[in-house]
Amino acid sequence: MDGFSGLLHGFGVALTWYHVMLMVIGVLLGILVGVLPGLGAPNGVSLLLPLTFTMDPVSAIILLTSMYWGALFGGSTTSILFNIPGEPSSVATTFDGYPMAQNGRATEALSFAFLSAGFGAIVGVLLITALSGWVTQFALKFSSPEFFGVYFLAFASFVGLSGAPPLKAAVSIALGFSLAAVGMDSVSGSLRLTFGYDVLLAGISFLVAVIGLFGIGELILTIEDGLKLDGIRAKITPRDVLRTAAQMPKHWATLLRSSIVGCWMGITPGGPTAASFMSYGLAKRFSAYRANFGKGEPDGVIAPETADHSAGTSAMLPMMALGLPGSATAAVMLGGLMIWGLNPGPMLFVERPDFVWGLIASMYLGNVVAVVLVLATVPLFASILRIPFAIIGPLIVVVCFIGAYTIAGRPFDLWLALAFGILGYVFKKLDYPIAPLILAMVIGDKAEDAFRQSMIMSKGSLSIFWSNPLVTSLMLLGLVLLFWPLLGALRQRLRAARS
Amino acid sequence: MARKFGMALGFLAAGMAGAAAQGWQPTKPIEFVVTSSPGGGTDNFTRMIQSIILKYKLIDQPIVVSNKGGGSGAEGYLVSKTSAGDPYKVIFGTNNAYLLPYVAKLGYKFSDLTPVAALALDEFLLWVKADAPYKTAKDYVEAVKAKPETYKMGGSQSKDTDQTLTSILSTATGAKFIYVPFQGGGAVGTQLAGGHINSHTNNPNESIGQWKAGQVRPLCVFSPTRLPAGPKVTETQGWADIPTCKESGIPVERFQMPRTVWLPAGTPAGAVQFYEGILKKVSETPEWQEYITRTVQTGQFLSGDSLKAFVANDDKLSREVFEREGWIVK
Amino acid sequence: MIARWQAELGMAAFLAVIGVITIIGAREYGVGWSPSGPEPGAFPFYMGIIVLLASLANALRALVAGLRPALWSEQAFLKPEQMRLVLGFTLPILGLVVASLMLGLYVGMALYLFGTLVLQNRYPVLKASLIALATPVLAYFLIERVFKVAMLKGPLEAWLGL
Repeated sequence: MDGFSGLLHGFGVALTWYHVMLMVIGVLLGILVGVLPGLGAPNGVSLLLPLTFTMDPVSAIILLTSMYWGALFGGSTTSILFNIPGEPSSVATTFDGYPMAQNGRATEALSFAFLSAGFGAIVGVLLITALSGWVTQFALKFSSPEFFGVYFLAFASFVGLSGAPPLKAAVSIALGFSLAAVGMDSVSGSLRLTFGYDVLLAGISFLVAVIGLFGIGELILTIEDGLKLDGIRAKITPRDVLRTAAQMPKHWATLLRSSIVGCWMGITPGGPTAASFMSYGLAKRFSAYRANFGKGEPDGVIAPETADHSAGTSAMLPMMALGLPGSATAAVMLGGLMIWGLNPGPMLFVERPDFVWGLIASMYLGNVVAVVLVLATVPLFASILRIPFAIIGPLIVVVCFIGAYTIAGRPFDLWLALAFGILGYVFKKLDYPIAPLILAMVIGDKAEDAFRQSMIMSKGSLSIFWSNPLVTSLMLLGLVLLFWPLLGALRQRLRAARS
Repeated sequence: MARKFGMALGFLAAGMAGAAAQGWQPTKPIEFVVTSSPGGGTDNFTRMIQSIILKYKLIDQPIVVSNKGGGSGAEGYLVSKTSAGDPYKVIFGTNNAYLLPYVAKLGYKFSDLTPVAALALDEFLLWVKADAPYKTAKDYVEAVKAKPETYKMGGSQSKDTDQTLTSILSTATGAKFIYVPFQGGGAVGTQLAGGHINSHTNNPNESIGQWKAGQVRPLCVFSPTRLPAGPKVTETQGWADIPTCKESGIPVERFQMPRTVWLPAGTPAGAVQFYEGILKKVSETPEWQEYITRTVQTGQFLSGDSLKAFVANDDKLSREVFEREGWIVK
Repeated sequence: MIARWQAELGMAAFLAVIGVITIIGAREYGVGWSPSGPEPGAFPFYMGIIVLLASLANALRALVAGLRPALWSEQAFLKPEQMRLVLGFTLPILGLVVASLMLGLYVGMALYLFGTLVLQNRYPVLKASLIALATPVLAYFLIERVFKVAMLKGPLEAWLGL
């Protein structure tokens, strides 16, 4: 069944009252899970999983994916309002979303986030619809060297942009990579940097680090300013939302670029979190208002949100067609697929077209439902900002610690969250950049694994990184992006010399 | 007020049920500790059991499932140490419960666990790419022997079941592979389908989709008998058509991974019996049979002495490999 | 008052220690290049070295600035009144962590909320008690009943049989 007729068939399956109701329930539960830091989409989806065992697989996957969309949207809400990313993939949204909210543009920031997220998601599904056959063939070309290339590319497009002192950026990056190395090393099976402490066995969760560095660190900064954040008296009317929507076409370049980045990272699969960082980095690089980034630039919200959602949706394709989960949530759904008696793989498209196309059609509908529902909640969430800081401050602290504990149920994580909170506060005051540390924690493990797997395959020869056109171009592109700031400086000097 | 009354009734009911069954009964919520991350094989195993218990109302108390998959599952087994004697922590895992402490310095010993039951054995197969020239497992092994350390064997994790099996295979046949560890069975499968590795030893469930699609092909199964006949997977073949490795001339008779359930050491014997009884009932439901068939595992309920014997045997076998490979830490 | 250069120096020293710890930990597993690529310790080893060297350089810069009272060194890192605010906010959080580890998160958060609202923000006792009680109850129903996730519990929950 090819794209178009398949999709029509799929809409026939997905467009029933029962399924639309499941989408609404899923999205609402997802928003709730997404808003609470720590209780992320993977948790939420695995909690619903037992309920779906008795359901028809199509209904079950619609419920679970809708919950995932809801969580992705909900995660951005807390990023923008409180600087606490509800989901790992919405970390990059805090960079400009939170400053916008502080400048009294919360509604605008939220609307931009949701609309661009919806746009990204639709691009992701369109890609799946149109190119499902070709994309799976492409993804099969990826092995460890290519994965390393993908992570290298994501890393290269983000670093070198923070404008922080280079020595401090180096500390931040290297510290992030060291933290990522704590725990079981999957290539050698040995426990690294645990010093015999069992609490370090499972590694240091980057989510706990995020809750501390962003959430608690930011609160301490707010307190220090003596700022009695009495709430932002922004009036929220549906008109504001509509006005923001009308501005969207102006950002077409960012939207398009970020969708491409997102789809690329969803399929390869580098994951939505790395996608949002990479997209933010590129947006900043190509923006005419580069200096405004980090101070509340709409493009800085649009870029990560679009990429995050297009990666989240397009990651469904490698999950179904190859059995390869592109995100933690996709891994849980993959488990669900097997429990419902479906075997992920290319034959799924042939054997169960009702399931595959029903899911794809539901992804269009589910994301539309999610955008509508989440926009409807904007006034509600924005009104939280009006609560005096004296109450909301301690409540956010409590939510942070609940979040830190629920990530993995480890008491030790409470200490970690506090420590990262203080570290985040001091880092910010002393101009150590935080974002590269987070990115290094997210991709450090995977990049190192991919590198060492490649070395095992090539018996220790680095030539494997230019052994075929694909990996060679990935590495070259990464190198160009890494040295882009240097190239720019060189060009300027040349121009100056010429004139 | 109503809630209090309800609670009192609950206590009464629990007390009466306890008296009726003449044994240990849970009186508060139970935690199922999963030694893998969400979506992993052990996670599916646990959630399947949880859903069957819910469906047949085998336990009155609520069940909370928590994933502690850090350090290849060691994080979950550590619960046995931190919650010694707590009958409300049920730990679900595989044979890594007793094998992990050999290869990594961990805070728990096997003696911190009380065995409850094993419900299934997961099978291992030798897979190659569908268009590979080898007709039988013997052909492939001969090809590997002709060019030692050029053929890549993929597997999930390091010093875990896949690498152990690769080592057993090498010792038994003299074929030397390059073992490449990946994150999980799904990733390993895709690597083979893409032709980046030459073979792997995935469980049936991990590679059925790719076999159906004609991307990969099983050569033999590491089981003393062939797998049970079911519906055909490809147009011409079903699971029962795969020869055992022994039939194909590879002297490895058996390699299976038990799916196991544990309690912390020091839990009352009554609690062990209670869970054993529940799990026995679970294993007799049609839903469980269906799960076993669908995931092509071998359903086998082991408890008490039969479980101890199985563990002792498996432990000895793996230990030999670990010693030979120099993986044992101390 | 803590001067900027003092804070810079302290942070750089702290990070240098982290670097040294990383290096020591990494050396346990070999940091060389084996026939099958880098050994397990190699990657953290070099990361530790980067942290150590860059931090030493940062420390040196802070010292130079401290010796030569320039613009940078005169900047205050924390003024006394700021210090009071920051400690007033952070110490109760420390209390929350300690109380939660001993008594469970629900009791911990109730005590923390009541304490900060009444003692610090001068909220009326009745209103503060309401918030301090409602939050854990709400959290309990949301997290343990709706999402069925186990929370860190203490003696109170054991006594209540939850």
